[in-house]
Amino acid sequence: MSDDMDRLDPYVEWIATEARRPVSIDPAARQRLLDAIRAEPAPQRSGRVLAWLVEPRRFVLPPIAAAALAAGLVGIGILGGSTINRDGRQSTERPPADVASPRLPDSARAVKFVLIAPQAARVAVVGDFNGWDAAATPAVREKDGTWSTYIPLRPGRYVYSFVVDGTHFVSDPAAPIAPDDGYGQKNSVVVVAGAVS
Amino acid sequence: MRVLLVRAVWVLLICAVQNSTAVAQDHDPLVRLDPTVRHAVAVMLDSARQAGLPTAPIESKVFEGLSKKVHSRRILAAARNVYESLRLARAALGKDASTDELTAGAGALRVGVTTAELANLARGQREKLLTVPLVVLADLVTRGVPRDTASQTIFQLWQRGAGDDDFYGLWRGVERDIVSGTAPGVALLARAREIPSRVPPQGTPPASGTRPE
Repeated sequence: MSDDMDRLDPYVEWIATEARRPVSIDPAARQRLLDAIRAEPAPQRSGRVLAWLVEPRRFVLPPIAAAALAAGLVGIGILGGSTINRDGRQSTERPPADVASPRLPDSARAVKFVLIAPQAARVAVVGDFNGWDAAATPAVREKDGTWSTYIPLRPGRYVYSFVVDGTHFVSDPAAPIAPDDGYGQKNSVVVVAGAVS
Repeated sequence: MRVLLVRAVWVLLICAVQNSTAVAQDHDPLVRLDPTVRHAVAVMLDSARQAGLPTAPIESKVFEGLSKKVHSRRILAAARNVYESLRLARAALGKDASTDELTAGAGALRVGVTTAELANLARGQREKLLTVPLVVLADLVTRGVPRDTASQTIFQLWQRGAGDDDFYGLWRGVERDIVSGTAPGVALLARAREIPSRVPPQGTPPASGTRPE
C-alpha cells in the first residue's frame, strides 16, 4: 500500500503545481461581459391583461370613499377575527359541554387526566365537557412517555375518552368504564365531587 | 373612478357574505350529519325542548358519534336512546325535576338503575335536589356495586336525610376501599353504616342542596 502512494507522488505534485499557477485574465473581459448583458433585450411581459395589471397608475379617492373602504376592510377583519379567541381557539367551536353532565352547585376544579402512551405522537382528551372535540384539549407529553392535561370541571359525572394520534379512542385504564356508548367503543367515567365539609 | 369604487364595494360585500356563511356553517357541527339524520336530530332536539327535557346530553351523544366518525344512522340511534332515557327519567322523577336531576337520572338509567328505583327516590324528600345522590348511585353501579344494593343504600340514606356532603363522602370512601381491594358491595354497606341519620327535628329549615322554589 505504501509503495503505491510513493509512485503517485509526482502526479499529485504536478496537479498541485498546476492548481497553484496564477491564471491570467484579460482586464477587458469583465467589461465585455457586462456589455453583452446590456445588449440583450429585456424580457417582455406578454398579454394585455397582465400589462394592464402591472402598469402603474394613480388612484385617487375622495376622503369619504376612502373612509368607507377602510371601514369595510375593518368590518371584514372583525368578522373574520370574531371567530378566533385570544387563546387561539375558534369561538365557533362546540360549546364547552359541561352542560351535558349534571352540574352541581360548586366551583370548578382542575382534574388531571393521564395516559401512558410512549409510542403516541399526540394525545387529546374528549368528553361531555368539551363537546367531544379532539382539538379542544390536547395532552402534553412528559419525558417518560406519559401524556397529561388538566381540565377544569364542575362537580358532576362525566364520560370521556383519550384520542391517540387523532384516530384511536382509548379508555382510561385508571378509571371505571362507562356502559356501552352506543358506538361499540368503551368510554371512561370521572366523577368530580363537590367540597366535603 | 366611480367604476373602481363600485367594484371595490362589490368585493367587500362578497367577502363579508362568504365570511358570515362560513361562520354559520362552522357554528353548527350537525351539518356533518347526513341530511335525513340531521333533520331527525333537529326534530328530536325540538321535541326535547318542547317537553322541557335538557338537550345537552343528546347533543353531546351526537358530537361523540361525529368525533368517532360513526355512521349517521348509528348516531341517530344512540341519540334516540339518550332522549328516551331523559323521557323516562322525567316520568320517574316527576315534572318538577330540574335539568340536572333529569340528566343525572338519565345517566343512572343508562347504567342499569330502573325507573321504579328512580321513582322510589323521588318519592322521598322533595325539598332537596336529587342530583348528587343520582350521580353517586350511577357511579357506584359503574364501579361494580350490585345495582339493587346501590339503589337500596342510596334510597335509605336519602330517607335518613343524608346531604350532598354525606353522599360525596360515601363515594370517596367506597372508591378508596375498592382500590384497596374490598368488594364494591361490601365497601358500600360498610361506609353507609358510618353515616348518621340527619333527619332534622320538625321545624328546622332544610340544609344544603335545597330545591329552589
